[in-house]
Amino acid sequence: MDATGILIFSEDQDLVLELLTVALSLRGDANDPIFVAAIGEAPQAMAETSLAHGADEILVVKTSAEIESDAGQMAAILHEVVEKVHPATILVGATRLGADTVARLAQKLKAPCASDCMTLKRIADGEIEITRRVYGGRFVALQVLEGSPRIASIPPNRFAKANPVQAPKASIKEVPITSSPPRVRILGAAQRVRSAVDVTKAEVIVAAGRGVKKREDLALLNGLADTLGGVLAGSRPLTGDVDWLPVDSRIGLSGQTVKPNLYVACGISGQIEHIVGMKDSRTVVAINSDAKAPIHAEADYSVVGDLYEFVPAFMEACARARQS
Amino acid sequence: MTNTDGNQSLKILALIKFVPDPNQLKVNSNGRPDLGAAPFRISTFDENAIEAGLQLCSAHGGGVYGVSVVHGKAPPRDVLLRAMAMGLEKLYLIVDQDHLLNEPYRLAAALASASRFICSEEKISEWDLLICGEASADQYNAQVGPRLATALDIPVIAYATRIEIRDSTIVADRALEDRSETLQASLPCVVTVGMEINQARIPTVLQVMGAGRKPIREVLLADLPGLDVESFNEGPSLSTLDVLAPVRARKNIIVEGNDIAAKAAELLAKLGADGEVKF
Ligand SMILES: Cc1cc2nc3c(=O)[nH]c(=O)nc-3n(C[C@H](O)[C@H](O)[C@H](O)COP(=O)(O)OP(=O)(O)OC[C@H]3O[C@@H](n4cnc5c(N)ncnc54)[C@H](O)[C@@H]3O)c2cc1C
Ligand SMILES: Nc1ncnc2c1ncn2[C@@H]1O[C@H](COP(=O)(O)O)[C@@H](O)[C@H]1O
Repeated sequence: MDATGILIFSEDQDLVLELLTVALSLRGDANDPIFVAAIGEAPQAMAETSLAHGADEILVVKTSAEIESDAGQMAAILHEVVEKVHPATILVGATRLGADTVARLAQKLKAPCASDCMTLKRIADGEIEITRRVYGGRFVALQVLEGSPRIASIPPNRFAKANPVQAPKASIKEVPITSSPPRVRILGAAQRVRSAVDVTKAEVIVAAGRGVKKREDLALLNGLADTLGGVLAGSRPLTGDVDWLPVDSRIGLSGQTVKPNLYVACGISGQIEHIVGMKDSRTVVAINSDAKAPIHAEADYSVVGDLYEFVPAFMEACARARQS
Repeated sequence: MTNTDGNQSLKILALIKFVPDPNQLKVNSNGRPDLGAAPFRISTFDENAIEAGLQLCSAHGGGVYGVSVVHGKAPPRDVLLRAMAMGLEKLYLIVDQDHLLNEPYRLAAALASASRFICSEEKISEWDLLICGEASADQYNAQVGPRLATALDIPVIAYATRIEIRDSTIVADRALEDRSETLQASLPCVVTVGMEINQARIPTVLQVMGAGRKPIREVLLADLPGLDVESFNEGPSLSTLDVLAPVRARKNIIVEGNDIAAKAAELLAKLGADGEVKF
């Protein structure tokens, strides 16, 4: 059977709509079907949303709740779906679970996969040109996926969500699956704190790095964010090693890519993996006591100094400016 | 956990990539990476992978072996010795002379074959754990770990932030975007780790020098058993056309002032002039 069409999968509803945007831009013509795999305990909602946003065929697989955090099971189920519809292209949302799932699926399919694509373009029948960040994000690679299946993963928030369509024409199909027992047992789970505001939409971002010595000291930078009408974000050490800030406020290669009007990096050294997440900001201010820190080269305005002294002084200056 | 000698000890394989250090990689005059000039390093999270293995072995006994696929010529000796000096028993370099393993499908297939090969060479019945970085510092695919587990048909726990061996199983915490989980899997298992799991040890100069006596073995890709290199030319492909540095320009102005208050006023004036702050 000849491979045709594009199969989309993400466990995240919003990301499915972003993948739909990409799929619509990649397909040759309207006869090239777009399939969505809706897998989970309650796949119906995702199926209906996908249908309302331009998918052609929804493959619904009803499973238990645990499967949603089991990339191994997800990959096995997706593999069965792929065997049924033979898509020429497979697009998966690059959340952590999605990245894990698509890697396993691709290995089963003996296929490469382009991770975390920034752009995707159909250049010919059976060829997709993609760009992705390499060397920590210092460089962008231009690559071509050829043959089928062509597999790519796409990070959240990279593309706009697909628009609703006037007359949805998709069909919803239940796919029976012969699932195998899970190989990893979940002993426990705990929700992680999420940011109150979406950092990717903020116009002003104050970002905290390891130059901040104690969790309580974040109050100072929160104060600065308030003064500037912005939000607080952080480098990976503050959003991972220690859970001082929610992981969805991490800026960088393994976190969010942002382009606010103003980005104030406080106590951040400026390793390339951080820079890649903020380099498209309009104006960058760096506050770092080390004159040699690489962040200064990435800044419009560099303050070589102690953030514990400078930030209060700056807020005072703001307060005075406001009064006059 | 029982090797062929009947000893109760852990046998761990660390998957190590040697990469040009992204933070020291320069852009050459035509916008491409100057790979020849960049110093090499152990891919950041692979240092954490080695460290995680070493810590388990110091608690349970056993040893950490290293395997690395190197494309073209081997990385400089000082970086290899650094890996050895961290405490590896032995390092296997799988030499991919023709750059065949330039994407993760092939790479994982070769690493699966290499992991079996090393077992038989070292008379280890099977690995207890294979530890990878969550993503490589140069390519950032975040694929090789889960792919390797698929190729070996064993479980994988990705993004582990804490691991322990409990009753011949692995129990690990791992961090997803919206939740953290505690997972348990049987051995052998693949684990992927980031910088959160530990602080990797930094070997002293003396240890690095002393590591020169430790065994590093090169194996040609063609000598790996059961690997069908021919089949690599069939099926879908991912090829790189170009690698370019995005251009960016910053003002690079250092905010000056006699004292901290003056500097603060100066920054505010500059941001005000740019229209970035308005009061
Ligand atoms: C594959 C990969 C992905 C990664 N992804 C990300 C990512 O998404 N985001 C990210 O941030 N990192 C990421 N990293 C980690 C990255 O390489 C760095 O380790 C990290 O960005 C460093 O964080 P930092 O700047 O806060 O800490 P440090 O590098 O420790 O820097 C702290 C800085 O604070 C300064 N400082 C100290 N005290 C003061 C003071 N009182 N006042 C002012 N300045 C002070 C110091 O001079 C220093 O420059 C990734 C790494 C890898 C390998
Ligand atoms: N050439 C290689 N040799 C050995 N291990 C590798 C190699 N490439 C990747 N790995 C392992 O796979 C992890 C993830 O790599 P990647 O999928 O490329 O992001 C790395 O952190 C290493 O542990």
